[in-house]
Amino acid sequence: MNKIKILVRKEIMDILRDRKTLIMMVVVPVLLYPLIIIGMALIFGRIAQSQEEKVYTVGYSAECEDTVSRLRELYQKEKENDDGEGGLVFVAWQGDRPLQKEAEEMAGNADQPQENDASQKESGELAGDVGQLSFEMFSGEDTPDILLNITEENGAEHIAVVYNSTDQDSEAAMYEAEELLELYCEELLDDRLAEKGLTEDFLHPVTFEAEDQASDSESFGMNIGGSIGMVLVVTILLGVIYPAIDATAGEKERGTLETLLTLPVTNFQMILSKYISVSLFACITAIISLLSLGGSVLFLIFGVAGEILKDMPYIPAVVLAAAVPGLLLTMISTALLVTAVCMCFCVFARSFKEANNYVTPVLLIIMFASMAGMLPIVEFDHVTAMIPFVNVSLMIRQVTAWQFDPSLAGITILVNLGCSLLIVWVLARIYNSENVLFSDGFAGFALFRKRSEIKKGTIPAPGDLLVGITALLLLLLYAGSAASVRFGFWGAMVSQLLIFAVPLFMVWYLKSDVRTLFSLHRPRCGTVMGSILLYLGVYCLMICAGSLFMELLPGSTENLETSFGPVLDQPFPVILLVTAAMPAVGEEILFRGLLFGSLRARVSVTKAILISAAVFAVFHMSLVKLVPTFMLGAVFAFILSESGSLYVTSFLHFLNNAVSMMVSKYPEQAGKILPFLVKEKLEAPELLILLAAGSGLALAGAALLHRNARRVL
Amino acid sequence: MIEAENLCKKFERSVRRGRRSVKEEFFAVDHVSLEARPGEIVGILGPNGAGKTTLLRMLGMLMTPTEGNVRLSLADGSEIEELTQKKAAIGYLSGNTKLYPRFSIREYLKFLGELYGFDREKIRERTEEIFQVLDMEVFGDNRIEKLSTGQMQRASIARCLMADPAFYILDEPTLGLDILSADAIIHFMQEQKGQGKTVLYSTHYLEEAEFLCDRIYMLCDGKIIAEGSPAQLMEQTGTESLREAFHVLYV
Repeated sequence: MNKIKILVRKEIMDILRDRKTLIMMVVVPVLLYPLIIIGMALIFGRIAQSQEEKVYTVGYSAECEDTVSRLRELYQKEKENDDGEGGLVFVAWQGDRPLQKEAEEMAGNADQPQENDASQKESGELAGDVGQLSFEMFSGEDTPDILLNITEENGAEHIAVVYNSTDQDSEAAMYEAEELLELYCEELLDDRLAEKGLTEDFLHPVTFEAEDQASDSESFGMNIGGSIGMVLVVTILLGVIYPAIDATAGEKERGTLETLLTLPVTNFQMILSKYISVSLFACITAIISLLSLGGSVLFLIFGVAGEILKDMPYIPAVVLAAAVPGLLLTMISTALLVTAVCMCFCVFARSFKEANNYVTPVLLIIMFASMAGMLPIVEFDHVTAMIPFVNVSLMIRQVTAWQFDPSLAGITILVNLGCSLLIVWVLARIYNSENVLFSDGFAGFALFRKRSEIKKGTIPAPGDLLVGITALLLLLLYAGSAASVRFGFWGAMVSQLLIFAVPLFMVWYLKSDVRTLFSLHRPRCGTVMGSILLYLGVYCLMICAGSLFMELLPGSTENLETSFGPVLDQPFPVILLVTAAMPAVGEEILFRGLLFGSLRARVSVTKAILISAAVFAVFHMSLVKLVPTFMLGAVFAFILSESGSLYVTSFLHFLNNAVSMMVSKYPEQAGKILPFLVKEKLEAPELLILLAAGSGLALAGAALLHRNARRVL
Repeated sequence: MIEAENLCKKFERSVRRGRRSVKEEFFAVDHVSLEARPGEIVGILGPNGAGKTTLLRMLGMLMTPTEGNVRLSLADGSEIEELTQKKAAIGYLSGNTKLYPRFSIREYLKFLGELYGFDREKIRERTEEIFQVLDMEVFGDNRIEKLSTGQMQRASIARCLMADPAFYILDEPTLGLDILSADAIIHFMQEQKGQGKTVLYSTHYLEEAEFLCDRIYMLCDGKIIAEGSPAQLMEQTGTESLREAFHVLYV
């Protein structure tokens, strides 16, 4: 411990003496935020102001003078109380020429610059069609900002406002004209009502209005709070990147790494002290950013800030007392996580330049994840609280709306800390590798080599698995979701194809021996029987586990049903293909063939089973099904290791999915055969019977399987 | 005493086969056994790529051998078991052991002293002592990035001296130095030898090795091809100088 303290002190001193770090850490957040935020506000203010002062020309066909003169009158009346100088100027056109050069100053300023089309002004000599105007008829500077085409349809006036959405002036003029036309419409309506001797109440037999109960602070939180999370995460990233590179790749570039290795400390102490010092700077950056950003936002919208402060008494003091440390802890846990992620990549680099290349994609991914707060549909719940970076931005959005959920904040902090610990552990492992310390940084990743250099029969390294599965997850998240949104049920097949394709690409690239890696052997009869018994036993146990889990998390059943919703409308054979047959092949190749197959060549079988099952469970992204999927993953991996045949696990996986789909589609029929399949809650006696039967079947199956085991490795 | 037994280190390298390049494993250090006793300067000689640096890194506990092991025993016969204690007992110096540029030598020595568990008084005494021996009072408080090459080399020696280690492992310590700086290093090694320390060092300068080393190991392609005192090596090859012996051995 003492050694770590000494090392941390040295790292901090080293980082502090580097001016670039200090600039990124302190100067950027302290100066940049106020500059950006206040500067942007000034610029936008200026733009808005200049738009108010602008004069927009409205072209109309001379034939419609009647309507336009009423509009003009109305506009003048409306503008009387306005001291702005800009406004709409109506210019009559006939054909492609202005009929008269009397740009009337609607806003009342007589010194407005005149239209410079005097040369074209030859009133009286008009030619061409009159009526419909379009932008094509005009050229150069004479083109009006918008055009009014007035026609008559079924006794009502129809006014088309022709504008160009890519032209800012045109769009602004359109909005202004729209307002005017609404007024015009109201006026005409009033006239008609008056003619019939009616009042306006005639039009509104029922009056209604939507009443927004959200306080100012809440809507402020929703609108602005969403982006604050991302900005804070990015600032932490910017603050972290430099010290993280300096402490890892920088050490290699300066040639001090070997000196460090001569010290009487272990590599773990070394990397831990580096991690502690860099994350300390990350935390400081986080806090400085929080203060600077908060300060400049409050300064800018002082009025709104006052409103927010007025709202404060609504929050109980207890919640407030929890929210402040909660927010602080969240920021710190995020800083720890960001540091861990950054260092994990930087440690591979041999120079600053290389490290920058590695960090940039990481930065983009983290930025993307922390944008979640800007999407109103993404809610802060137990699931999103478990996704790193997404959770932070959602939590900050919630806090800026003066709400605070201690349990969600707890999950966020724990998840962040847990992920940080895991990544630091990985980091320590990487830092222990001589390949990383002394030479080729990516020696642990066969995927980063040229294919021609890869030996035949290479087994994917843990690094390759990590890259492959991360890539797959990203593909599923974007390509898979996009396909689902676009093509609905059939789009779901894209995800299944991806799950199938990524492992196959990996084994092709790495030239792995597919038969051995995936255990593609013909099973023995005894192993098949044993596997089926074992699976049936575990299935019973899974039902027990699921039932117990429901007790713990009431209300989570809805998730289960809605997730199957759109699938169930399809004919049963199609359901079987997409939800049972395709996953049975794809997921088995991915989780058992590739993941378990590669892991067992490097770690003990038990570890390989547990890791592959854990990844399998997490991959299904369902809190309710977490324990059952883990059990299923573990049992499939065990069956594979004993039977040596992926065919067996694929068959069982198919059976498993097919049964659960059958139960979902035909619950009544299924309930008649096996009632416990459809019950939401099992009574204690049923539970005990299932437990006993399941254990008995599982043990018998395991014994039978073990006796006929075919061990490949 | 430093004793190495059957030390091996495997690496991968790219080899061209036809139009494709393939990775293959090779022994950078191939079953090397050697020993260096207290009060002895042992030289490791060999051409570039012979495996000297890898061998010294393994002896200096910076790298783990693929096979074999290294034993360190003190003058009283007791063996050091723990890795961090082994590292503390070795003064390791190479072209790649640079110092933190943003520290001064005094600060760096203080940091080292704390790591070795010295108290404040001992750190101060030891620093003064080293400053005096290496004549560093003038630049001892400057940042290391501001020092000249010779001063930097002296600072590196100061780093090795701080823990007063029983073993010195030096990888080409005189490479690229001017005569005065090189002499200072040679003087340093001889002095340590006089104090009964074990010095193991690699070099390309054969004349230097001839008068400095008690024993020499000749390394080629990771294997030891000859060993003995300079005189023995010359006798074995029937030559007049170590340089000639080197040529005979490596033909």
